[in-house]
Amino acid sequence: MNKTIIININGMVFHIEEDAYEVLKNYMTDVKRHFSTSADSLEITTDIENRIAEMFNEILARDAKQVIVETDVKEVIGQMGSVQDFETAETDAKSGGGSPFEYNTERRRLFRDPDDHLISGVCAGIANYFDINPAWVRLAFAILVPFAAMGLVIYTILWMVVPKAITRADRMAMKGEKQDLKGFKKNFEEELSTVRENLQNFKHEAKPFIYQVRDLISDIFEHLAAFLRGTGSLLGKLLATAVLLACLGMMIALIVSLIALFAAGNMGIYNLFPFNITNHQANGIFMASGFLVLSIPLLAIILSTIGFLFKKASFNRSIGTTLLCIWLASLGAVSYYGVKTAAGFREGGKFTQTVKLKPTANNTYYLQLNDTKYLSNEDSTRLKINERFKGMIILDDDFNGDDMPNRNVTIDIEKSDVPQPVLIETFSARGSNLEEALINARSAAYRFEQKDSVLNFDRHLEMPKGFLWRGQELHLTLKVPLNAKIIIDQKLDRNINFNIYECKSDGDGITTATYIMTASGLECKVDPIKAAKFKADSLKALKQEQDTLPASPADTAKAQ
Amino acid sequence: MIVENTQTQMRKGILEYCILSIIAKGETYASDIIAELKKAQLLVVEGTLYPLLTRLKNNGLLTYNWVESISGPPRKYYVLSDEGRAVLEQLDKTWQELVFAVQTAIGDRK
Repeated sequence: MNKTIIININGMVFHIEEDAYEVLKNYMTDVKRHFSTSADSLEITTDIENRIAEMFNEILARDAKQVIVETDVKEVIGQMGSVQDFETAETDAKSGGGSPFEYNTERRRLFRDPDDHLISGVCAGIANYFDINPAWVRLAFAILVPFAAMGLVIYTILWMVVPKAITRADRMAMKGEKQDLKGFKKNFEEELSTVRENLQNFKHEAKPFIYQVRDLISDIFEHLAAFLRGTGSLLGKLLATAVLLACLGMMIALIVSLIALFAAGNMGIYNLFPFNITNHQANGIFMASGFLVLSIPLLAIILSTIGFLFKKASFNRSIGTTLLCIWLASLGAVSYYGVKTAAGFREGGKFTQTVKLKPTANNTYYLQLNDTKYLSNEDSTRLKINERFKGMIILDDDFNGDDMPNRNVTIDIEKSDVPQPVLIETFSARGSNLEEALINARSAAYRFEQKDSVLNFDRHLEMPKGFLWRGQELHLTLKVPLNAKIIIDQKLDRNINFNIYECKSDGDGITTATYIMTASGLECKVDPIKAAKFKADSLKALKQEQDTLPASPADTAKAQ
Repeated sequence: MIVENTQTQMRKGILEYCILSIIAKGETYASDIIAELKKAQLLVVEGTLYPLLTRLKNNGLLTYNWVESISGPPRKYYVLSDEGRAVLEQLDKTWQELVFAVQTAIGDRK
């Protein structure tokens, strides 16, 4: 008693025993794989399937039975021929070049050219492959040398891996010449030449560049595998495993970072450098293609290493071509957006405006940081400022990730020739042309306020939504009259163009640096009262500490 | 080995000529072609015929008609196209020349 399965071959239904089905399935898988590289694979396999169905019907009718058994399947396969039979037939056809409609499809092979070499013939070999002048290939390698000696490295690897063309057959394959029985075929070919012009697709000659590149790469990998097998498979396998692990690690890192970037995308990586220089939509494409540019070579290496380790072809030519196409496309996208973004920085634009300050009575100016957070109307609504923080002030945190790259607000202090103090604001930015640069510069918002003798400065420029970072900078020049006293808050240290810590007297008590504007420029002046007070304070603190030290157990008791 | 190689090459050289000739007799089904080729000992297994037929068809030398069949799925019956007929005429000529060439060559030997 046997289990039967019902199968459907192109619309025909058969009852087939389980083990017979296994044999048939394996056979069809082999056949499909064998023809998978052919453009007509579907048509050929369908023809074969139809014929098998027909033969099954004939067998069922002949033997007057209902179920197909293993011997029937074997009979059919015997008639149809095994994949090995197809292979011998085809290799004969190739090496013999016998069939009149199937020549000139012999692809070129990569060899080192011993007849035309400067060093080892690698360049000449590659040139033969593409049928170009070797000088170009040599030039390309020479150009690659300054880039981290890349040309040198690639050259050495190819030298080791690519075999030298030794036999006549090697040389012919290298130059893409047909290997056949010339004498026999020549007349035959001449007779056919008129017909051939219409029929023959000169596959190799008409091959697009991308296929040639793909074949070249696969050739190199083949040579590499042969080389590794030759040098000792253990060493090769160890190396392959190491490469595999390293590539897998890099792949995982890439995927994790891509996910992290996309996940963070909702939370505002677009305020961070370098994502704030392009618009959001482009960023998605940019990141995705960047990911592809990096991951496809990794994937190719991983797959071929796996293929080498397990001695199995892990991806065929069509996948290879697809991957190469995607890779080139993403490389194109990355370069396109790169160039486009760079173009947005081409021209610089700059404008200044002068803000008149009210002179103060005692000629003293306090420079302070305005650390109230800048909130747009939208932000206020979103954060429900009026409900939740009524009467409170939202402070700008020191660094909350919203900062533009670099310091973009700098402050200088200069002497003014007139008693009227002024603040000169110089906005600058970049753009693809002067107009755009000026608009970009204009887009940056900055708040400066004067309250009597206190001058409040913002820490940084604020960019309204929709404007991209284009190197917006603000340079402030404060011009004060002679003998003006400038007291700078320490919080402004990052914005002031000189080091205020050189002037600030040490200790935590003082948070300001005091300067006097003299005829020769700004001079540091340590506030005598405050300095003295601080000294006294610290002495007192020290003394107290000494006093309380022996009595500490009592203190702790009291505290409890 | 060399003998076998030469034999297969000689057979392959004329294989497509023979297929075209068989089809030239009229609408032909793949298994009929196989039967004839087997008789002539040019092909052993059917599977190798299908890629050849597909290629000849894609080169424009053949066309086919679907014909309903009692014993199975519809069958492809191949016919020669005009282009195929022209190619066959050329090949006929070539074949005559080859026969002449070979006979001249063997003739001396006898």
